[in-house]
Amino acid sequence: MSSGLGFMAASHLLRADGRLVEDAVSIDPGAPFAARSPHFAPRAKNVVVIFCSGALSQVDSFDHKPELIRRHDTPLPGGDGLITFQGANGNLHRPLYDFRPRGECGKMTSDLLPQLGDLSDDLCYIHSLHTKTATHGPGENCMSTGYILDGFPSMGAWATYALGSECDDLPAFVAIPDPRGVPQSSINNWGAGFLPAAFQGTPFNAARPVQNLAPPPGLDLRRDRATRDFLRRLNEAHLDRYPGDAELAARIASYEMAARMQLSVPEVTDLSTESASTRRMYGTDDPNPLKAGFARNCLLARRLVEKGVRFVQLFNGAYAMGEGKGNWDGHQQLKTDYDVHGPILDQPAAALIRDLKQRGMLEDTLVVLCTEFGRMPTFQAGAQGRDHNPSAMTAILAGAGVKAPFTHGATDDFGWKSVVDPVSVHDFHATILHLLGLDHTRLTHYHNGLQRRLTDVHGEVISDILEG
Amino acid sequence: MLSSTGLAGGAGTMLDGPDYAAEIAPIFAQRCVECHGPDRQESGLRLDLFPRVLGGGDSGEPGVVPGAAARSEVLRRITTEDEFEVMPPAGERLSDADAALLRRWIDAGAHGPEGQQAIGESTWAGDGDPRAHWAFQPLADGGVEGGGPSTLDDFIRAELEVAGLVPSPTAERRVLIRRLYLDVHGLLPAPEAVAAFVEDSSPDAWPRLVDEVLASPRYGERWAQHWLDVVQYAETNGFEMNTPRPTAYHYRDWVIRALNEDLPYDRFVFQQLAGDTVGEDAATGFLVAGASDEVKSEEVAYTAQQRQDELAAMVNTTSTAFLGLTVGCARCHNHKFDPVSQGEYYAMTAVLAGVRHGERPLASPEMEQRRQRVDGYRAELELLRDDLHARRRAVTSRWNEERFAPRPATALRFTVEATNRGEPCIDELEVWSGGENVALSAKPSSSGNLPGYPRHALAHINDGLVGNDHSWISDAPGGGWVQLDLAEGHVVDRVVWARDRSGRYDDRTPTRYRIELLDEGGAWTRVAGSQDRQEFGEEGGEERALAASPAVLESLATAEEALRLAQAAPPAMVYGGRLEEPPPVYRLFRGDVTAQRELVAPDIPAILGSLELTAEAPGPLRRVAMARAITEEAGALAARVMVNRIWAHHFGTGLVATPGDLGVNGAPPTHPALLDWLSARFIEGGWSMKAIHRRILLSDTYRQSSAPSPAALAVDADARWLWRFPPRRLEAEVLRDCILQLGGNLDLSMGGPGFSLFEPNDNYVRVYLPKASLDPGDHRRMVYLHKVRMETVPVFGAFDVPDAGQVCPTRGRSTTAIQALNLFNSPFVLAQARRMAARLEASGPDVVEVAYGLAYGRAAGPGEVQAAGAFIEQEGLEAFCRAVLNSNELVFLP
Repeated sequence: MSSGLGFMAASHLLRADGRLVEDAVSIDPGAPFAARSPHFAPRAKNVVVIFCSGALSQVDSFDHKPELIRRHDTPLPGGDGLITFQGANGNLHRPLYDFRPRGECGKMTSDLLPQLGDLSDDLCYIHSLHTKTATHGPGENCMSTGYILDGFPSMGAWATYALGSECDDLPAFVAIPDPRGVPQSSINNWGAGFLPAAFQGTPFNAARPVQNLAPPPGLDLRRDRATRDFLRRLNEAHLDRYPGDAELAARIASYEMAARMQLSVPEVTDLSTESASTRRMYGTDDPNPLKAGFARNCLLARRLVEKGVRFVQLFNGAYAMGEGKGNWDGHQQLKTDYDVHGPILDQPAAALIRDLKQRGMLEDTLVVLCTEFGRMPTFQAGAQGRDHNPSAMTAILAGAGVKAPFTHGATDDFGWKSVVDPVSVHDFHATILHLLGLDHTRLTHYHNGLQRRLTDVHGEVISDILEG
Repeated sequence: MLSSTGLAGGAGTMLDGPDYAAEIAPIFAQRCVECHGPDRQESGLRLDLFPRVLGGGDSGEPGVVPGAAARSEVLRRITTEDEFEVMPPAGERLSDADAALLRRWIDAGAHGPEGQQAIGESTWAGDGDPRAHWAFQPLADGGVEGGGPSTLDDFIRAELEVAGLVPSPTAERRVLIRRLYLDVHGLLPAPEAVAAFVEDSSPDAWPRLVDEVLASPRYGERWAQHWLDVVQYAETNGFEMNTPRPTAYHYRDWVIRALNEDLPYDRFVFQQLAGDTVGEDAATGFLVAGASDEVKSEEVAYTAQQRQDELAAMVNTTSTAFLGLTVGCARCHNHKFDPVSQGEYYAMTAVLAGVRHGERPLASPEMEQRRQRVDGYRAELELLRDDLHARRRAVTSRWNEERFAPRPATALRFTVEATNRGEPCIDELEVWSGGENVALSAKPSSSGNLPGYPRHALAHINDGLVGNDHSWISDAPGGGWVQLDLAEGHVVDRVVWARDRSGRYDDRTPTRYRIELLDEGGAWTRVAGSQDRQEFGEEGGEERALAASPAVLESLATAEEALRLAQAAPPAMVYGGRLEEPPPVYRLFRGDVTAQRELVAPDIPAILGSLELTAEAPGPLRRVAMARAITEEAGALAARVMVNRIWAHHFGTGLVATPGDLGVNGAPPTHPALLDWLSARFIEGGWSMKAIHRRILLSDTYRQSSAPSPAALAVDADARWLWRFPPRRLEAEVLRDCILQLGGNLDLSMGGPGFSLFEPNDNYVRVYLPKASLDPGDHRRMVYLHKVRMETVPVFGAFDVPDAGQVCPTRGRSTTAIQALNLFNSPFVLAQARRMAARLEASGPDVVEVAYGLAYGRAAGPGEVQAAGAFIEQEGLEAFCRAVLNSNELVFLP
């Protein structure tokens, strides 16, 4: 039983049928996170995704639309009788934060997220990203898995399935939930779907540790070690009766990895070893506990990447508190909500990018800032906020292999629809995989009748934004 | 259009417009066939063969519609002005003359060469003819009579010989019984059972054991899980809100019961698709086992899209589960691998188009008895009232009946003039016309409704449900009116109403009121009210009907009370789908809900048979017809699919390694003849699943040792040729149940609502946080776990438990450090280690022997006794148990 693992079987059989799947990922069950070769030379070794849950308004943050200001409080042209997610819309409404030029490049960004705007010289803005749904759960699914439905593997699962990790004492894929809780689609954002469970993101953040990482308090540590040794002896004696069985050996190895994680996770989540200036830069001791919590998560993200963790997905916003309260879903009182959320995101996220750059890590780390969809340039009828808009949102890329300063694509005069160089979520995913050295059409896994991909049957790499 | 096109089925003649061979085929050959011909079929289109011209390509649009050039995709693409759509994509446009010729040919009936019949739809774009695919052929049953192999083992040995392999010897008895229990029950055999079997020297010891194990209810609990995986069963809705479906568990219980009773597989299929037609309501939980998005938007197209997603999940689950076909791709275009066209996908959708997510009353013997009881009480009351010439007692909060001379009415209004306290509340207003409560179909309106309480909404006034939780409350203290506009005119003679028939509340009771009827002329007439009743709350509120005997009065009170109670109990519901009449179903171009094409009649893919139904067929009939077709016309495929699933769970891998896909893109069978032979036995044996289990379990192949052999490993590492029994890691459920068994606290109570491993939570978007501590009820078998879609349960979820987001015909079997952490450090496992230690402690001095017997089903060797003894001495019994609960020997099926 060299490969008793279920997930090896499918590619094996397809070969038996003469349908050679030449790119089938081959995984050593004893070391599922062992580094594996990409399809071609990668620009990025690691990825950090900052996911703004709830739908961050592009027109109030990064997508500067002078016409929207000029035509404030007039009807949206072409929007007669328009019914969006929550219903009827009122007139166009100017951005709730002023825009001004930032960075050497003079990119116009708003006062909502000034520190991120100040990094514009290092950022690549995509203003023309659009998606397939105007509902949060399916929207998050789509942005994280490429499908609006539940149950498909997440981007991080695909990336680590393909590439493994450079690190042998931490999970290859870590999801860092917001201090306020999990996002709308919860673990589907970092799920393995039908990929082997090993590639599911392991959720923990600076405040909530990995479940069952350490034995419950009170358990004698020496005894703990002795029990582990005794278990290993039991398993080795059993393996003697099944020589050459890879699955049994893999299980022994998994306990070794668990023991290493037991040491390495507390170490990596211990931020006290960081300098005071670094902590200040992130805002880890900010009097606002939500900001400080998110800042600690951002700092944790950097430390994980430093250790060689392949994929880190960092969430900003959670859903337990309801619409707009703990996330970017500004339907009713957008300004009131965003006055709270802006400062939580801005300094810590900007510090993460700045810190990665200072340490030279931005060379081979890709930072992605995204959300599930955009918002309308109008106010909702009778409200002080904006409804969902799947036709346009802004995403930001920074680091390995991406042009900066750069702006790709554009929306119409009001920021309503992507009209210049529209980018689908599949294009966006194809580009991220490309930067990791992966051809999105070749990274496949057989499930129920199809060789599935992150990008379904779509997606074109956005070559315009790639560094030459 | 020329009348000559009416020549039905006739071959083309010169009179019918341009000649295909002489004038049309050359155009295709010159300009189209390079990309749409024998060598390449871009988008699945072939224009070199006449029959395929009409079919069109992958988009599902018919290429040519005889007599209708305007609806023919081929002509549209040639003549369009859209630069991205026009064909050919490069080079010059087709000349106007050629386009005109094509148009005339199509309008004239698009006749082809003499003797060539066009096929209606293109069904295949790949290599060869998919209809020739093995899974669509009749069963090749070359068994006994054909002089071929006559036992399962013969087939296996024949292939082993070809591969140059030999079977392994029979496993030791203690291994066999352990394997049998873990495989069939998902539990460990008791040490006494192991000892008894090891010592049983009778020749039929094994068959008797197999029968005994298959007869146990533990079998259904274990194998139901396999089926629940396939159908993506969960007890929450999924997506962002993910709220519970509290009555979904009836379906899980139905599956367990069906397996335990060995319900024949054809009935098993039938009841899941159409159980509502035979009083098996829980079974249709199958149809709605998948996710459904509770977040509805104002956007019409998006709502239609959500509905299509739901239907796609139903169609996909049905075809994957019963037919081993993955039809989902045909939602947007013709299937690229299997013979399923886009039209056929929507035909399957039409079969299920009346099924909506939601609950419906669960028909059961108990409910039927209750209905009869209610009718009986009503009849009894009727007689008693006649006896009494009903006189009027005071209003009660629990029950009031108003009788008056029959009178035609189009509406009824109940006006409250005073209450005992607060805004008036009425739980249900029944308006009787002879034996029918005509309120149920009436439209309610009111003077105003108490805002903010869904359970007191106006709709509850005539929803057929009684009690405070389904009641209407006015928005005005002490007053208000509610009106029921009847669906049609009725002669009304009786009104029944109450404040709260469940008897919990007696405030908000209307004490002064009047009831008026509206006649066709638009005039209101008062027919009943409080004026002739005793004052509310007045002592001696019995009937003033002194003519009646006290005995009659007492029977009346008893009958009223009995009726009240019978009505007050909520009806049992099941999340088995709301079954409505299906709306018309159209093919959707590229799956786009805004691009409706032709009306589609309910059907199954032509390769499997035909339902012979029209687009108007009633919903239940559609499902009945499909269920029958699956095990009759498509019976060979259906049998192969299920036999393969059973095989896969016994041996770890199916004869076809992709049990959800026996189509062209699935894996080919390793033992096609065996699969067919077993499938034939399955049908012949009246579709008994237990009979197939029995055949497999009694085989030499199953009873082989699982010991490795380096030579065989080198040839066939995965033991696909079954030179040994393939050992493998236990599934999450088996592992948890076995650990509870070893801790001595596995709770074997069956059925009913599941236990939860998450903290209760009422957030509008459910947040699932692991429970801090477990209750005794949480020690039931894991199949009874309240299954939350898309969430990983603590500890055991990491062991490849499917998330129920998509169908899961095969589970992964991965090994991760997170699993190790969960099993080694979780409070759950540590608590069980403690309990196991206490159990051992109580068993006497030979703790190591007892532990090995319980956990591994064998005696400990002298070295093992010594090593374990030394460890226990040093670290204690609990630490020893913790190691055992984590050990490979426990965690692997031998």
